[in-house]
Amino acid sequence: MFRLSLSRRLVAIGGAGFLALWIALISFYYLANGLSRTASNPPPGQIAAIVTLLKAEPSVRWPALIDAVSSPILDLSVVGIDLAPENTLDLWEDPEYRIYREVLGDDLLSIRLLVPERRFRRPRLLQGVLNPVQFRVRLAPDRVLVMETRTPFIVSWFGLPAGLGAGLIGTLFGVAALIVFHREIRPLTRLAAAVDRIDPVGAPVALPKLKGAAPETQALLKAFDRLQTRLHAIVRARLALIGGIQHDVRTFATRLRLRVEHIPNVREREKAATDIDDMIELLDNALLAGRAGVGALDEELLDLVPLLEAEVTDRRAAGARITLAALPPETALVIGDRLALRRVFANLIDNALKYGGAAHLALAIEAEWLRVTVDDEGPGISADRREILMEPFVRLETSRARKTGGAGLGLAVARNLAEAHGGTLEIDDAPSGGARLIVQLRLFCSQ
Amino acid sequence: MPTILIVDDDADIRQLVGDLLSREGFAIETAEDARAMDEVLRRREPDLMILDLMMPGEDGLSVCRRIRATRPLPILMLTAKSDETDRVVGLELGADDYLVKPFGPRELLARVRALLRRAAPQVFQPPSRRYAFDRFIADLDARQLETTLEGVVSLTSGEFELLSCFVLRPRRVLSRDQILDWTHGRTADSFDRTVDLLVSRLRKKLEAASPGSNLISTVRNGGYLLTVPVRQVT
Repeated sequence: MFRLSLSRRLVAIGGAGFLALWIALISFYYLANGLSRTASNPPPGQIAAIVTLLKAEPSVRWPALIDAVSSPILDLSVVGIDLAPENTLDLWEDPEYRIYREVLGDDLLSIRLLVPERRFRRPRLLQGVLNPVQFRVRLAPDRVLVMETRTPFIVSWFGLPAGLGAGLIGTLFGVAALIVFHREIRPLTRLAAAVDRIDPVGAPVALPKLKGAAPETQALLKAFDRLQTRLHAIVRARLALIGGIQHDVRTFATRLRLRVEHIPNVREREKAATDIDDMIELLDNALLAGRAGVGALDEELLDLVPLLEAEVTDRRAAGARITLAALPPETALVIGDRLALRRVFANLIDNALKYGGAAHLALAIEAEWLRVTVDDEGPGISADRREILMEPFVRLETSRARKTGGAGLGLAVARNLAEAHGGTLEIDDAPSGGARLIVQLRLFCSQ
Repeated sequence: MPTILIVDDDADIRQLVGDLLSREGFAIETAEDARAMDEVLRRREPDLMILDLMMPGEDGLSVCRRIRATRPLPILMLTAKSDETDRVVGLELGADDYLVKPFGPRELLARVRALLRRAAPQVFQPPSRRYAFDRFIADLDARQLETTLEGVVSLTSGEFELLSCFVLRPRRVLSRDQILDWTHGRTADSFDRTVDLLVSRLRKKLEAASPGSNLISTVRNGGYLLTVPVRQVT
């Protein structure tokens, strides 16, 4: 879509204003001088008087007389009777010009609009105004007076066309306005660039110093600075909260975990310990998603192969059915937060093991993307449930709510974190019939 | 009977862990912060220390570094943040093992016993600060960069500061701000351009000594990283 920049809009508004002023000045000039459109044609009485005078004087005096009545808008000459035909428009029948025929009677030979031979045709609409009108009046049997009248060019006291002053001043104002506008607009462009660089978790961005900018621009700058300060304060508070909760809840959980050992019933004791572990996992998921939400993830060059191998080895040692089709080391390199990515895959693997009975991981490189698939051997996930399943606190087995544990945060967090890394998480069908979870992450390329 | 020193600001945890370990036949000393720990260490020589990472006053990181520099005491670090575990046992700190809170009694006992078995009395050696990467060895104490083939690469002090910054944080994306803070600190006249310039000079020198290695990479949001792994050497 074509959009005008602010400075162009302002110049257009200014230009329109000056044009209106100019038109008003000219109109005023017309009104004050009592001019009208017909003033371009000489009054019939004037032509009649000139003809009478010329007829009364001997032909030797004609040049002097012609000089006396000629003016820039009235051109007179005396020619022989046989006038060459010209490219003209005949106005003889024009009702506006009937008055001339009545006043001059039989002496009037023709009234014509002269159309000059030009390369470029003037607009037809303006012909009546721009082109001279020619009157031919018989003075003597072999002498014809040719009068050409032109549209008067409106001239001011200084000999310049009326409105030129207004136009010139307007142009000067326009140029000055353009410079001023540009000066005012440029800081806004710089401000926009600086605001774009604001990073809620990084160091505060120094906004440009705008000396001599308009108060409104200064106010905008200060507002952005305050906004940045507030944003940083909010993010700092959020991160402090996350850190505080991490520390304190884990401290409580540690005490509880150690106290649980005093429960005499072995089964109850184990269940209580599992509850604590689930609680901590839920907390970790939520807090990590919160951290990703404010962009506070670490950036590190990671080899996903050892990371996944560690996850797989841990679970295999615990007796899970899990396999990994890996790539050679140092090929699956991505930039990301180690903990967050470990969380993504841990969530997917645990889901696969919990609901699908097994987890089969595979890594593949597709152009600039790294594709990790986690297949299970469960019943699969129907296409219409896939999107909703990635929302927080949505679980597939609502009927058996919480029997298999989990709060329904795992997939939501995994997707959140994958997207925070510029990647994607999708649900598909595994070739074996179970569900397939696909994580795509951008491969690191050295530059 | 091995003595275990428990340093944690939470009284309940000190007591619970203490009870657990004494039931298993260990002698227990406790301290609620670094100062109390120093007092205990003046009195006796524990066989193992369980140290909380986050404490008011001097924190676990600093305590760990301080102890490491003076005596061969095995340290089991307790941490509440799972994202700090990598650093705790990494090059930077040298804790011998760690446990993420909350932990079960069996886990704790297993780690403690493993550490005590492993901790044969050893002669203390100040940690070396020589790091190998690609075909280079950066010696942070001697402040020089060597190649395995051609000897010393001459670097200006600014370039070496920058290199140490990368070597100590391998494969991490470092923003220009972080680099400025870690090298000579931010001064009034230092700009992002300063870092860019320094990085490009360092890059040229590394590239000249190890052609095609492309060791320092630029990341989209304006950061740099050392693309190869670094290991500590003696």
